[in-house]
Amino acid sequence: MKFNKRLLVVWVILASLTLAYLWIDHTANGSLRSRALITSSVIVIALVKVRIIFREFMEVRQAPVLLCRLTDAWVVLIGAVLLSCYFIGVAIR
Amino acid sequence: MSDLAETTKRGRSVPGQPDMWAFVLFETLVFTAYFGFYLFSRARSPELFLHAQAQLDLRIGVVNTLVLLLSSWSVARCVQSARAGAYGPALRDAFLTALFAVVFLGVKMFEWARLSHEGNGFDSNDFFTYYFFLTGIHFVHLLIGFVVLGVLVYQLRGPKMRDQKLVETCATYWHTVDFLWVLIFALLYVVR
Amino acid sequence: MSEVITPAASPAAPPSGPLHQRIAWHWRHNPKRELWLAWWALVVFYSLFWLMFFVITRVQPPPRPTADLAAQVHFFHVRHLGIPVGFAVIFCIGGMIATNNALIAYSMRRMSVSPAFAYSYLIMYSLSAIPGLLLLCIALIVGTLRPERDPEAISWLYDFAFLSFDGTMGVFLIGSLIWMLAILLDKNRVFPKWFGYLNLCNGLTEVVVAPCWIFRRGVLAWNGQIAWWLDMVVFGVYTGAFIYMLRSMILREDFGTGPLPELKPDLERKPKAGRSNAEAAA
Repeated sequence: MKFNKRLLVVWVILASLTLAYLWIDHTANGSLRSRALITSSVIVIALVKVRIIFREFMEVRQAPVLLCRLTDAWVVLIGAVLLSCYFIGVAIR
Repeated sequence: MSDLAETTKRGRSVPGQPDMWAFVLFETLVFTAYFGFYLFSRARSPELFLHAQAQLDLRIGVVNTLVLLLSSWSVARCVQSARAGAYGPALRDAFLTALFAVVFLGVKMFEWARLSHEGNGFDSNDFFTYYFFLTGIHFVHLLIGFVVLGVLVYQLRGPKMRDQKLVETCATYWHTVDFLWVLIFALLYVVR
Repeated sequence: MSEVITPAASPAAPPSGPLHQRIAWHWRHNPKRELWLAWWALVVFYSLFWLMFFVITRVQPPPRPTADLAAQVHFFHVRHLGIPVGFAVIFCIGGMIATNNALIAYSMRRMSVSPAFAYSYLIMYSLSAIPGLLLLCIALIVGTLRPERDPEAISWLYDFAFLSFDGTMGVFLIGSLIWMLAILLDKNRVFPKWFGYLNLCNGLTEVVVAPCWIFRRGVLAWNGQIAWWLDMVVFGVYTGAFIYMLRSMILREDFGTGPLPELKPDLERKPKAGRSNAEAAA
């Protein structure tokens, strides 16, 4: 079934993004330094994965437009909250 | 059936109960608040969090993430099979999902045991408080997920049941457990 | 499912006239008057509850678990009048907890599920008032009675009060789950399913408060950002939701045993709403 293949492709993409973390960890290793760039990109990658899960696994792609907009807004909201909490924390260290 | 034909035939309907979506979005907000507090604390004491985080094994986290993503894949496949009327394969996928979940739970508990044994407990330091708190509350959601899977299996089994909306609702909950873990994993294991 | 009061085909239209006449008519003839009384008692109870705890006694938001003896004694000292007065009011209105729980149990009896749900909820929540409310009130009042008491004893009362209040969430958790289960299994559509899931959200935040027994500082302490502040937000949303949902249920109530009808614009409004009764009679 065509659908099954699509789902599998989606999983492979999600798995690759997960494995990409190993690469990030590898490049960051050796130096136990916290870097805003790594943190931000890790969060953004996670949000990309969440959006893919919304659209493909949870079938938002085929849902009414309102739900598409709502879930996209949620992804943006989560990103905004996480990044601002982090950077505010850094700022008042 | 081609993609387009499927969509046209079904029209654009909300997958599962809209009520479950309301729950999903609300619960996501609550978790986002938890994550916000964590990141804020982390940013304020980076050294402490970094050193504590180094005690975690990233590979275990990756394995857990892949397993949970697989469980999402299998439950999504289950929904599609059920929609097409193929309840046999759908049921098999539901059990497969449960199996992946059990693997996740097992690995998680093994990880917790190992960390505790090494002296990193719930109240060891701020990082591990957050670690056990976030993975713990996620664990509770996963346990509830088993009940939800039970409802799903019950729906797929009985010929008189098989309410497709309910099947989709259960799957929606399951995917939520998955994407919450995706965020937890990124924030606890990878963020530097 | 109450079949004790079965109104005749449709009750006689309430008279349009001065307010006191309409109220008198509703008092005598409205078959839902007990339900409305219970609902208003619920609203009054929670309004007074917030007022007493946050404004009069000022014991919420809770003070720091890390306060030293001097700070704890000072806590009682500045509230030596507020605490007894505020909690005296709480003790007076404490009986309303029974009617609150009864109204919620009534909603479960109206559902198609077993009466066991309603009765177990009623029993659990009746008992839960003791650790969930009364112990804190008693401990704090005892603390303010004798300012010259040994500071160690005052410190004990301080800890006992706040730990009993925040740390005994188990009963509330189970109660939320009972109501959630009843709502999800119900075929009479007494409440929408999202309200059932909201009960789950509320139940889960009760779980999150439990670590306050372990932590004296940080986000999971009894005054922590997660254990108290975030919890209060979710609890506030939940309380507002269930007050609204119970009102909606009473408006729709038809005293039958089948599915509850949907809210229609011409359904009889509650007496004190001040709305024109021409609307209701239409």
